[in-house]
Amino acid sequence: MIRAPLVKALGALGSPTHQIASRAVRTSAVLAQTPAKAPEKIEVFVDDIPVMVLPGTTVLQAAAEVGVEIPRFCYHERLAVAGNCRMCLVEVEKSPKPVAACAMPVMKGWRIKTNSDLTRKAREGVMEFLLMNHPLDCPICDQGGECDLQDQAMAFGSDRSRFTDINYTGKRAVEDKDIGPLVKTVMTRCIHCTRCVRFASEIAGVDDLGTTGRGNDMQIGTYVEKLFLTELSGNVIDLCPVGALTNKPYSFVARPWEIRKVDSIDVLDAVGSNIVVSTRTNEVLRILPRENEDVNEEWLADKSRFACDGLKRQRLVAPMVRMPNGELQAVEWEGALIAVAKALQKAKGQVAGIAGQLADVEAMVALKDLVNRLDGELLVTEQDFIKGSGIEVRSSYLLNSTIAGLEQADAVLLVGTNPRYEAPLVNTRLRKAYVHNELQIASIGPKIDLSYQHNNLGADPNLVKDVCNGSHAFSKVLEGAKKPAIIIGVDVLERPDGAAIHATISEYCQKLKKPDWNPFNVLHNSASQVGAFDVGYQPGIQAVLQAQPKVLFLLNADAGKVTRDQLPKDCFVVYIGSHGDNGASIADAVLPGAAYTEKQAIYVNTEGRPQQTLPGVSPPGMAREDWKILRALSEVVGKPLAYDNLDELRARLESLAPHLTRLGELQPASGGESVAKPSISISSTPIDVKQKELRDYFMTDAISRASPTMAKCISAVNKQQRQDEARSCAAV
Amino acid sequence: MAGREAVKRAVQQVRPILSVDREEARKRALNLYKAWYRQIPYIVMDYDIPMSIEQCRSKLREEFVKHRQVTDIRVIDMLVIKGQMELKETVEIWKQKGHIMRYWKESQDPKPTDFLSKFIQGVN
Repeated sequence: MIRAPLVKALGALGSPTHQIASRAVRTSAVLAQTPAKAPEKIEVFVDDIPVMVLPGTTVLQAAAEVGVEIPRFCYHERLAVAGNCRMCLVEVEKSPKPVAACAMPVMKGWRIKTNSDLTRKAREGVMEFLLMNHPLDCPICDQGGECDLQDQAMAFGSDRSRFTDINYTGKRAVEDKDIGPLVKTVMTRCIHCTRCVRFASEIAGVDDLGTTGRGNDMQIGTYVEKLFLTELSGNVIDLCPVGALTNKPYSFVARPWEIRKVDSIDVLDAVGSNIVVSTRTNEVLRILPRENEDVNEEWLADKSRFACDGLKRQRLVAPMVRMPNGELQAVEWEGALIAVAKALQKAKGQVAGIAGQLADVEAMVALKDLVNRLDGELLVTEQDFIKGSGIEVRSSYLLNSTIAGLEQADAVLLVGTNPRYEAPLVNTRLRKAYVHNELQIASIGPKIDLSYQHNNLGADPNLVKDVCNGSHAFSKVLEGAKKPAIIIGVDVLERPDGAAIHATISEYCQKLKKPDWNPFNVLHNSASQVGAFDVGYQPGIQAVLQAQPKVLFLLNADAGKVTRDQLPKDCFVVYIGSHGDNGASIADAVLPGAAYTEKQAIYVNTEGRPQQTLPGVSPPGMAREDWKILRALSEVVGKPLAYDNLDELRARLESLAPHLTRLGELQPASGGESVAKPSISISSTPIDVKQKELRDYFMTDAISRASPTMAKCISAVNKQQRQDEARSCAAV
Repeated sequence: MAGREAVKRAVQQVRPILSVDREEARKRALNLYKAWYRQIPYIVMDYDIPMSIEQCRSKLREEFVKHRQVTDIRVIDMLVIKGQMELKETVEIWKQKGHIMRYWKESQDPKPTDFLSKFIQGVN
């Protein structure tokens, strides 16, 4: 586990900027009263173009500033500098040897030549050495077409090699490692850039990967045979510049030039990671991260990346109606709509709706409008939250410090949440702050592994009270911090005393508040939740169960919280969603909807940022976009909704909540009003979190439950644990 | 002044495509109609279409009647030219059976316009 001093040591090895940057961050955090004096810029020349840069800038960064991209394999902006591939060698005037651009800080007046004979010769030499031991298996390599080595060999390599294998010894060959069901390894292709090793130890925080041996015998691996167990393992596939680490479920599926890429948003957690959906022949083949500094940087969690094969399984492809014998039978759309409409007319206003985890804002608004037109009012979210005035103020249910903002936090208290699995990319931010910013983290809840050191205060909810009235030792840390943050998990707010915990913390946060910093944070784990509150849904299904509705709409509600025996016998349940899961199994009518890769829909992430998905493929079979189903149903009932296309629906959205259509922008949430203190006091039931271990992470929603890859992950984790146990028994 | 007006009018007058007056255009249209009318039995035979000669003749009439409100001589000429081209393609067997049957357009359903029928057909 690396913390700042070691990173500094690494920096001394290769990364002066890194060092300066991290020091600058730390000094600004510790003594922000005296703004650090900006160091004087120095002038260097890149290919005779003058550029002013800060001292400590590397040659590579200075070149990037004038738009010259120096080829590299091991260098990566978000990782520590290793300087071992030597591909970025460039000539500097009056320097006897070429210098490694990624690691060398510029000096005043340096003249860098990125395209001189010496530079070109150095690159050709490096390429020649790399290709000497790299197999010529591009035709059967999954990286083909998006391979850095391939591209750079074409651009910078020599046209021939001087190495002829006169002794027929063959190229270096390395045994493949089995590091889990997600990442396929072909270690012979490895060029030892060590990006994966650095990612694992710096970003993911698991020191599972490492190098053994030296020189030609160097190997990347896990030392002993074990899984690369982390929720971020898929990112090493993107980082690998060659085809040594590739996507296992995607192997031998498609070539990059055959696929169509659609920019979209991930909805399997509440982070709203930006993704690129790769499709071909109306199938989602793989999902890659898309860069967004404010949300996911350039990483993606494993569930978001690999659960896409769940989009092809367990799909609802035709409308279904439950027959008198109790079986669901596929019918035409007319039949299904008429069956639902009849039930709605009989219900006479006793209509309710529950929005589940994957419901988009458009469908929720359409459902709300439909239920309201039928004189119903009960619209709730499946995920519970505190009741009453808790959601009147928008800032009381958002991650107010923002995901990117958490990077600057210097004291964080986690209350009943495990960000590592509930929102892996929020956890990477916390880890980043921990590594570079001396972030102090404490947690109230069960003991969990967060991939960084933190102080577990215990699971007693009364600790919240202690911290918030200033009597706990950690209160001093929070009060002394420049940018403190308290992150509450939604599992805590589901408890009967959730409102009391929420109120206590939000009152304390008023005290901790800084002019441009709101320390109060709620970390959601369902993508629909913030959007639902924004358009006026109420939290929790209890209100619906008490009201005993005659018709109940389940909009993607698949968590299994509503069961048939909680509802009245004559209640007609209508399920609208994409997968045949818990919701569809209790429904009297199933109306097949579109999954998030098949519709243009808005989702609001946990910090309140509305973003939209774009359709990459069309919905399977007779499935339709969710809001259109509701619009069609409204017409059959005889109370048509006032929008026929997406633009009109978006206009309706805008009139309801104007911030929702400003895609990608974060509207500062109004806050400050203290919430009325609830009558319930904090009980003594220990605080728990649902996702404690990696195995709990993989299946949390209808899509990931349908995914065979996620099932393989769980069995791999279980198998690994059994092996570990057996090993420790043998050791004893 | 008056001379200039006259010049302007002369310049404004459009150049005819084929016919100089309405009578000539009418004659061309009639000739085309007759040519098609006489060709129809051969079309039915050569293309082996599942249509009788009477059906084809009523379709021919329909195609001409479709443009009966056209008064612009240039437009009439252009339509006649296009009709001539169609006839030539038909006579020379440059067309296939489907091209002839396209005059009846039986395979084309009218596109739905309201939301519900679009929804049920899945075209929106």
